[in-house]
Amino acid sequence: MPGFLKEYYKRNGTMMGSVMLGLVLFWTVGLIILPQLSMLDFSFRPNLPPPEIGGPKDIYTLENYKYLIFGPEGGGQDYNAVDLAVFYRTLVAAIFVTLFNLLLCYPIAYYLGQNKGNHIRIFALMLIIPYWINEILRAFALRIIFGETGVLNTLLVGTGIFDTPFDFIRNDIALYAGLGYAYILLMIFPIYNVIESLDHNQIEAARDLGAPWWRIHWRVVIPYAKPGISSGCTMVFMLSAGALAAPQILGGPSSLWFTQLIYQQFNDNSDWPQGAAYAIVLLVTCILLVLAVMRLFKVNMGDIGK
Amino acid sequence: MMTSDKIIRVSIWVYLAIFFAYLLGPLLIMSLTAFNSPGFPRATPWECLTFDWFSALFQDERILNGIKNSVLVGIGTIILSVSMGLAGALMLTQIWPKLRATYYTIIIAPILIPGVVIGISTLVFWDRVNRMLGLGADSFLSNGLFLTIIGQSTFIASYCMLVLVARLQRYDMTLTEAALDLGATHAQAFRKVLFPFMMPAIASASVLAFLASFENYNTTTFTFGEYPTLTIELAQKVRYGITPAISALAFMIVILTVFAALFNEANIKRKEMVAEARKDATVGELAGKIEVPGILSRNTPAMLLILLLVVTVSVIGSSFVYSPNQCIADVHEQKRIETELRIQQLRDQRAKDAAEKAAKEGAAPVQKQTAPKAGNNSGFGGVFAPSTLDNSDN
Repeated sequence: MPGFLKEYYKRNGTMMGSVMLGLVLFWTVGLIILPQLSMLDFSFRPNLPPPEIGGPKDIYTLENYKYLIFGPEGGGQDYNAVDLAVFYRTLVAAIFVTLFNLLLCYPIAYYLGQNKGNHIRIFALMLIIPYWINEILRAFALRIIFGETGVLNTLLVGTGIFDTPFDFIRNDIALYAGLGYAYILLMIFPIYNVIESLDHNQIEAARDLGAPWWRIHWRVVIPYAKPGISSGCTMVFMLSAGALAAPQILGGPSSLWFTQLIYQQFNDNSDWPQGAAYAIVLLVTCILLVLAVMRLFKVNMGDIGK
Repeated sequence: MMTSDKIIRVSIWVYLAIFFAYLLGPLLIMSLTAFNSPGFPRATPWECLTFDWFSALFQDERILNGIKNSVLVGIGTIILSVSMGLAGALMLTQIWPKLRATYYTIIIAPILIPGVVIGISTLVFWDRVNRMLGLGADSFLSNGLFLTIIGQSTFIASYCMLVLVARLQRYDMTLTEAALDLGATHAQAFRKVLFPFMMPAIASASVLAFLASFENYNTTTFTFGEYPTLTIELAQKVRYGITPAISALAFMIVILTVFAALFNEANIKRKEMVAEARKDATVGELAGKIEVPGILSRNTPAMLLILLLVVTVSVIGSSFVYSPNQCIADVHEQKRIETELRIQQLRDQRAKDAAEKAAKEGAAPVQKQTAPKAGNNSGFGGVFAPSTLDNSDN
């Protein structure tokens, strides 16, 4: 037995040490690492019926990735324009949702973080309550509002702003509002946590030295809150790029989200390797994007989740 | 200077109002639709107050079955993810410093991996394990409950780990050492010293795990198999036709949430008040019994809680007596009258048009090119240009 293991068992006892080690190994290796590797491996294989798996036809191939870029073989197209467009649109929309959330939440997080009192606790409560309610039901609530005969259309037509009901769902406005709505809390809390620990005297000092309010934010508060901001942005971006419920419920009939393509490959086409390949593409692209932005703003990975 | 301060203050409040309207407005409107009688959930126009959607909800087999499955999955996820999270948190304090950053990245990664990816990888991996072991398609490893619990625990354990680490950082490791020195076994030291200290964090991690599991959709949608959870059932319903029964369910969840939140607040407030009373108490009072203020005095959340309780009970009570049938019949009747009126109007219009047409054709057939010709299309408000009509006539 290697030295460090011996010491580990001495410190934790044989039984407790084994249980702890077993749980950690099961989690990290059995639930996190192996499934991801297995999915990666799976994405390089052809779609075979179960009896042929492991047979001579079960070889590594790049077919599934080629499909995303070039479309079906002999399909007569140079590129798989539909899927690529969906992929591009998903990423761009996720970035916009993230920026929208940041703009919306930063003032709230700052206000909650720098004020004390009973009403702050009530606000915090009002923030949390919507998040105890199912994601599906939140999307459903927005659908009631944005529907053709929904509250918003009744209001707009009733007051004479529009002559005919506006189709918010077909125009994806409902989808973006829903995605923004879904992850507000994940943007507010990391920023709030950081800003709460900012000494108010620093802001006072900046004000006494004659800085206007926007410069106080730009030079004092935002640099201090950078870990929280990047943490919130990362979570909102990853979650909205990977969202499935909101696009399914609030998305228009003609507009797809990339996760919906993955879902279709799995459930409607029964083409698991193809779905796995799409999932890998989504995962890798999102991670690379996040890492690039973090490098750009000089934030560490360790700040995430604080 | 005073005025600019005022402007800032007013704009802050306006911003807060807009923000919370965006946050809470949808839930409020959804709750309203649960009490309106039309078959499609809508708050406007208001027709009749009804409680029928609640009884429709309680008669829905699939919803009830979904709740049962959700609870089963939730319990399994709590057990698995809290124990893995605790082990992961304890390991974080002991692991070789060089490995710590890598280890932390691995156990925090599931939070950032999209739920869809976790669902797929769980499905693919356990399917492969199943095949490698030579088990059939109906084995334990391809069971929907097992896969859902495993899939959800992968990332929920990370949330639990974060909650537990925060508490563990305040733990004095020498306490465990003292217990061991005094002859306790490792298991005893864990059970009698560390575990009681961690209990509050374990409780909040459990609540968090259950809530996260209960509302999860992205991962579960790939793994549920034969055991659709409530969220899955809801998604199916919402995607293929929505009814106010779903609003009724949402309303109940909202009310339960508000209850839980108020209860929690009232509890905190009470503890604060007890602590305050203790601070002012004399030694004699401390030795005996301290005068603690009553539950309700100066405790706003508790008062709100009682108020909400009374309202809920009275609404439920009146729902058994109240019947919206008369109102629904009235609305129905009114709609019928409106429809009849409209038909009558159309009929009149048509007759008038026909008469005009007859008059025109009789009096001035030459004007055919310019006069709007009212044929049997008059009901459409003359959307067709006269010239088109002429062409089609010829």
